[in-house]
Parts: sequence; C-alpha cells; structure tokens
Amino acid sequence: MALLSDQDQQLVRTHLSGLSHDVRLLFFTQSVAGPETGLITKQILDELARLSDRITVEEVNFVLERDRAAAYGVDKIPAIVVLRDGEDTRIRFFGAPAGYEFMSLVEAVILAGGDDSGLSESSRQLLAGVTAPLNVEVFVTPT
Amino acid sequence: MAFESPNITASCVEATEFMDLSRKYRVTGVPKTIVNGSVEILGALPEDAFVRSIIAPPEAQQPQG
Repeated sequence: MALLSDQDQQLVRTHLSGLSHDVRLLFFTQSVAGPETGLITKQILDELARLSDRITVEEVNFVLERDRAAAYGVDKIPAIVVLRDGEDTRIRFFGAPAGYEFMSLVEAVILAGGDDSGLSESSRQLLAGVTAPLNVEVFVTPT
Repeated sequence: MAFESPNITASCVEATEFMDLSRKYRVTGVPKTIVNGSVEILGALPEDAFVRSIIAPPEAQQPQG
C-alpha cells in the first residue's frame, strides 16, 4: 500500500514536473541490523522516485562503504544526500523524511532540480561573502 | 543557502531519531538550528533574519556554558 494518497501523489507529481536537472538521492542505510526508520525511508524514497523521471535513488551501504559516507559527511543513518547532475548540493536529510519533513525533501528536490536558489538579492549578497565552511543543522520533528 | 554557497552544508535532522544529538544540543522545541556545532537559533525566522543569523550570529545567541 502506498504511503501517499493518489491525490497527494498527483500533487507532488505536478510540483516535480518542472525539474530541469537530474536529481539523485543517495540513500545511506544498513541492510542488516539497521534502524527501522531505514525501511520507512526506503519506502518514501521509492515512492518519490516514481513521481518523476528525473529522480533516482541510489542505496549506499553505510557499513560497507564507509569511505563514501565519510566523503559526504554522513555519520548517522538513515541519511539522504541530494545530488544534482551527479554533484553534491550539500543538502542532507538525517532520519526518515516523514510528515512535514517529506515536503521539505520534495522542496529540496525541486531546488536541486532547478536553476535558482529562490533567495532574495540581499541574502545572495550576504552568502557570497561566506568563505569559511558553515555546517547548518536544522532539528525537526515529523509533526 | 547550500544551493547558493559552496561553503554551506545544510542538514535536516529528525530530532526523535537521534536523541543523543538532540540532548547534546538541548533540542526541546523545533525547529532548532545549530551552526557549526555551536551557535543556536531557535524557531523559524523570516529569510533575511535567518540568513543573517547563520552568517553573523550576535553574541546573545551563543549557548551558555
């Protein structure tokens, strides 16, 4: 049984119809003795990928491919790394993207698949001055 | 912001799945944003305020102790 209703699927499909770049979601997980949320995440990602030809999901074993996980700064799972035409967008999701977080994931995919950050001019100017690495972690809950 | 700047990495962390991290950063309400593991921003801010807080956090936002 699908997680999203037919209506929601259609809504998301419409939102995703304007993607102009290929978005690959690297899904870091553990096949044996991994967290239960890994299964939920996989189901969510598979459903999401079905809603657009430009979205693919690549499952990466967190234990067997430690180097790759480290390269993307993934230290906990389940984790989703958003790639745009194969390149890191530096957008990450840790934990199952359920509830409200699902829409954040959809928005991240739309952002990655597009050509513009959508930020104001003053924000862009401020961000242009950032030279040191900034790791921004936003803690959320599904509800 | 991550899209706009190559120096920024943006992560969404589901608080209830990573309790040790939530405890470490004393996440009692969401959204709570942590920058470089030290600066804390509580709640959802309008874009301009949020970007400024991330880039040039005022002293008042430093966590105690």
